[in-house]
Amino acid sequence: MTAATPINLLWAFVGCAVGTAIGVLPGLGPAVTVAMLLPITAQVEPTASMIFFCGIYYGAMYGGSTTSILLNTPGETGTMVTALEGFKMAKSGRAGAALATSAIGSFVAGTVATVLVTLFSPVMAEFAVQLGPPEYFCLMLLAFTTVSAVLGKSRLRGLTALFVGLALGLVGIDQITAQVRYTGGIPEFMDGVEVVLVAVGLFAVGECLYNALYEGRSVSDINRMGKVHMTRREWRRSWPAWLRGTAIGFPFGTIPAGGSEIPTFLSYATERKLSARKEEFGTTGAIEGVAGPEAANNSAVTATLVPLLTLGIPTSVTAAILLSAFQNYGLNPGPQLFQTSEGLVWALIASLYIGNVMLLVLNLPMVGLWVKLLKIPKAPLYAGILIFATVGVYGMRQSAFDLYLMLGLGLVGVVMRRFDFPTAPVIVGLILGPLAEAQMRNALSIGEGSWMVFLERPMSLTLLVIVALVLVLPRVIAWKRRA
Amino acid sequence: MNAPVPSRGAQTLIGAGALLVAALLAWGATGIPSEAGYAGVGPNFLPWVVAVALAACGGWLLFEARSGGFRELDPPSGAERGDWGALAWVVAGLLANALLIERAGFVLACALCYTLAVHGLRSAEGRPWRGPRQVLLDAVTGMLIALPVFWLFTQVLKVNLPGLTGTGWL
Repeated sequence: MTAATPINLLWAFVGCAVGTAIGVLPGLGPAVTVAMLLPITAQVEPTASMIFFCGIYYGAMYGGSTTSILLNTPGETGTMVTALEGFKMAKSGRAGAALATSAIGSFVAGTVATVLVTLFSPVMAEFAVQLGPPEYFCLMLLAFTTVSAVLGKSRLRGLTALFVGLALGLVGIDQITAQVRYTGGIPEFMDGVEVVLVAVGLFAVGECLYNALYEGRSVSDINRMGKVHMTRREWRRSWPAWLRGTAIGFPFGTIPAGGSEIPTFLSYATERKLSARKEEFGTTGAIEGVAGPEAANNSAVTATLVPLLTLGIPTSVTAAILLSAFQNYGLNPGPQLFQTSEGLVWALIASLYIGNVMLLVLNLPMVGLWVKLLKIPKAPLYAGILIFATVGVYGMRQSAFDLYLMLGLGLVGVVMRRFDFPTAPVIVGLILGPLAEAQMRNALSIGEGSWMVFLERPMSLTLLVIVALVLVLPRVIAWKRRA
Repeated sequence: MNAPVPSRGAQTLIGAGALLVAALLAWGATGIPSEAGYAGVGPNFLPWVVAVALAACGGWLLFEARSGGFRELDPPSGAERGDWGALAWVVAGLLANALLIERAGFVLACALCYTLAVHGLRSAEGRPWRGPRQVLLDAVTGMLIALPVFWLFTQVLKVNLPGLTGTGWL
């Protein structure tokens, strides 16, 4: 077991601690945390850095839930539902129970989902070997459609964000013909726009600028912390919700339609329907309403590893950033990964287990310590975030030009947030765009230039039909309901 | 605390902005050769697709903005009016950072960025300026954040960050 050496366990420990610390701070989600620390891939060997990132990721998710419960400021969409009930629970003096059920629920869901990933991935990889460029292109098309058109509220704004991401992905050298596109003669653009740069700019810098511009006078009240502890009744109410949440979350993560928004809301609705104490929902806070969605979130997020590792298709912002970490090591996730770098894949999966356990053992008793971080005043906090953003972006390829670009993207982030544009499609479009383009052109080469190649192969035709359904069905349902 | 949704005028501007980006993309696409080889489509194909699609999105956004506003728009969080002065301070900090990082080194550039940004963020909170002592204190705080980060990256992780001196310590 390469993942369980003392040095790797140390990486997992440091990762969990750093991740939780940053995750607790408002405004920085798991994805940005990983993005800012990505430069270390230049020096640290792949297994250790994967373990480190898993630790950070789990830590940051847990930290984010803590903030949602105590402060009602969800760091990312997946924890929005946690904030819904968790904040209410904390308000009525049950913050401890809410934190406990979210931590243990995440652990249960994470562990079950990791087992499922272990079982499913090799099967998926074997199946994926049979897929050709036309199928890959259609899968990516499906990912684009779901990320931009289904997850957000407005399909128009989602699609606009997607095409902005695709446009950013066009910058640089074309993979197939080595043609230079959209560089404007700036040498820094030859290598393209890094996904880390865009993530840090849009999220971290954007958050800081948005705060200076609009949130200066906003006051947030912190809920008081109780002891992190659940009564026996709360345990009894929690565990079925954890299992249901896990079951709801996993399938959503595995299909290339990622995102943890739908499963968390679905789980919330389910718990609300099944609960024997419906009156607690939305009033004093129901523990099932925290336990279920939290488990669903963690399970869906873990399951996004299946399409990432076996198909090379990232369906969430974090998966996109992990993909870019793989690319930094010259590794291309996809079915071949299980043959070429089998050791690394299993080390990654093992590190998921370790990260899960580490989190439960370390963070549950220490949550009081992390909560102290919430007392840092906002001004130095956000100004400090800029320093870390600088390290992450500048450390990537030592170019001051990237810092100007980061500022520009930060301003774009402010506009997107103000006008309610989703940001995930930008990141997914940016990293998946060039891959999809290459697959499309390869597919057309196979079909000797004929577009019929996408319709003649049964798998790719099926996928295209699904894409069409995903685009059309919601509209039909809405229309029927109105009629 | 939520602000009202942005005005229709501002929404129109966003739609127009998307159209402008689409136009720039299309203009850039005219300069990309189309030699296709076996694939039937060349390197200029996707640029055209993106340009046309973004133009369609921009047009549609413009239409929504002019006919009752963006659909299903959530009111943004925070104040109704932006504190542009505060934003300018933070932007100045980031610009100074980008300008100076290769001249004065990571630590000093970041400390300056921190000092300017923290001033802007504080003024957004409506707190009065408390004189040069505060500035000095902020600069020192910025250094104290930047220095350990710098050492961690240059000494432990061996990631190259520019210093004022070549020693890797400052």
